[in-house]
Amino acid sequence: MIALWRDQIKSVVRLESKKTFFARRGLWIYVLAVLPILLFIGKAIVESSLHNRSVRMLQQSEKPLTYQDLLAVKSGMTREEVIALLGKPPLSSHWSGRRSHGQDVVPPVQHENFEYSDGENVLFVNLSDGKVDIIQIREAYNLGDESIMFAGVFQFFFLRLAVFFGCLGIFMNLFRGEILDRSLHFYFLAPIRREVLLAGKFLAGLLATCVIFVTSEVLQTVALLWPLTPRLRDLYLYHNHGLEHALVYVGVTVLASIGYGAFFLVAGMLFRNPLLPAAAILIWEAVNPFLPALLKQFSVIYYLKSLCPVDVPAANGTPPLLALLVSNPDPVSPPVAILGVMVVALIALYVSSVQVRRLEINYTTE
Amino acid sequence: MNSTSSSPADRIVFEDVSKFYGEILGVNRVNLSIPPGITSLVGPNGSGKTTLMNLMTGLVRPTRGRIQILNYRTDEPEKLFKILGYSTQFDSFPKGLTGFQFIYSYLRLAGRDAANAEQLAWRAIERVNLTEAAKRNVAGYSKGMRQRIRLAQALAHDPKVLVLDEPLNGLDPLARAEMIALFSEAAERGCHVIISSHILHEVDAISDQVILLSNGYVVAEGQIHNVRSEIQEHPTQILIRCTRPREVAAKMVESEATIEVSIHNDEKGLLVKTRDPDRFYLALNVLAVTGIEIESVAPADDDVLSVYEYLIGNEEVIR
Repeated sequence: MIALWRDQIKSVVRLESKKTFFARRGLWIYVLAVLPILLFIGKAIVESSLHNRSVRMLQQSEKPLTYQDLLAVKSGMTREEVIALLGKPPLSSHWSGRRSHGQDVVPPVQHENFEYSDGENVLFVNLSDGKVDIIQIREAYNLGDESIMFAGVFQFFFLRLAVFFGCLGIFMNLFRGEILDRSLHFYFLAPIRREVLLAGKFLAGLLATCVIFVTSEVLQTVALLWPLTPRLRDLYLYHNHGLEHALVYVGVTVLASIGYGAFFLVAGMLFRNPLLPAAAILIWEAVNPFLPALLKQFSVIYYLKSLCPVDVPAANGTPPLLALLVSNPDPVSPPVAILGVMVVALIALYVSSVQVRRLEINYTTE
Repeated sequence: MNSTSSSPADRIVFEDVSKFYGEILGVNRVNLSIPPGITSLVGPNGSGKTTLMNLMTGLVRPTRGRIQILNYRTDEPEKLFKILGYSTQFDSFPKGLTGFQFIYSYLRLAGRDAANAEQLAWRAIERVNLTEAAKRNVAGYSKGMRQRIRLAQALAHDPKVLVLDEPLNGLDPLARAEMIALFSEAAERGCHVIISSHILHEVDAISDQVILLSNGYVVAEGQIHNVRSEIQEHPTQILIRCTRPREVAAKMVESEATIEVSIHNDEKGLLVKTRDPDRFYLALNVLAVTGIEIESVAPADDDVLSVYEYLIGNEEVIR
């Protein structure tokens, strides 16, 4: 019997995958998956061009500079001391600015900007009247910041919007789409348990969302790493938990697909209009931080947030209510979080299995 | 149709079945016991034919009552569809499939291995004469081809029960004849073939029994002849072809069983209306021995069409 069910599930997955991957009405799901990749590609292009500029500056420098050399410039140093230390600047500009000092007429201030680079980082030195006034170093890559930025995009766009709406588009259509197309009877006329059909459809949806969003997730990581030098890439991946984080993000994406997929599968059977349950689930997930502890557990985002490897700090001045959305004040342990998503998904799948047995073919009422 | 010639395990049984769609009646208080052979569901649009078929196949659940298909329950599709094939009226198909893939996928869903599914799919496609178009996308099929591919799906796994909703719609006369031959062949093998149709003369030609439906109610059921004989308010009409119709007419009028006699326009026959066919046939035998040459005697209204008209009226019926 198990072998028969396995074969039947494989048949359903084969049929459904073709529809799910190549459905014209699902094109927007690919757009959602591609958007963060484009964001990181855009960032990579900008950083790459800045890196090339830094390399050109280093080539134009009088002497090869290191990061330590750039740090050696101190406020109050004279123009000559800076040049003696770092050489003539490869890029410089100057201007004069008036300043008023009560009723007195004061001579204009002579400003100069020097730019130096060690090939990766750029030092901006602002001199006023021949003395160092402002020093600023733009570090090519701050791996900590990169991690936080990636976590922000993952948590607030990818997970809450892309995967959420992607699952809505795919899983709600597994039954609802076929009812609208008037082709669900094809499955209902086959000697297959309705629960087995449900399992096959769910797995097909899961396969589609996992392939689309895990691929997106991997490509985002690749795009993030693309402008890094091999040394920084190694540092990020193997000494800064980068690889571990990437794998955790893939796992969270898969869990999100399971959790939201199960939610939308049952919603597709219970509701004719997908907008209502989508809005309800979106609101439910959004207000999760404000819910009592017991209700929090009936949410997917509660567990997913606990699994995300990097916390996104709330910016200074963020209103407390909004800060709650960003932070996760009471995270659960990873095993509990994984189990939580699975339990929530199983409850939704159980309701779906009861519903699918009751489902009738009555297209005229749809 | 409640004969005891076969056991309940060989029958399709409806026990006090009703189906309501909200407040709209689908069928009401249906009691049937359908033996093997070709059974036609006859009735105008909205009479409940498709509802009855959908109930039979579990696509809809009864609001009340119990249905048993050769001892299988209709809420267990995993068992039921091993012995049942249903060609529906739904004219839509899973997207992107060719005719062959449509049948093949169905058989794979049923758990058949690839080789067996391929073999059965081609055999079914050949049976409905669709081999040349089998590799084309179903979306590009004509109405008749779509009808045939649905029939192929219903037939593919050699079911014991075939449920066919308007199976002759969209088919040309040759294809109709071929399909009717297929249904008859299945019935001869002992299958239950349940057909719904408006086309009464075709149903009449092939049906072993009929179920007449009107407004969700079964108004008559059984073999056509038996149903006809139960309709008392309409006298039986008998057509006699003979050489001396006026002489026969004069003799027939003398019989108490005769109500009305009319001579055929060609003067080679007469139509007799009687409320007592048995006494009429006795009188005719007496007449025959007097030397009048009688070519043929045939009931003139012992068919589905007449029964249908007597019971339901003739709206929406295609003759």
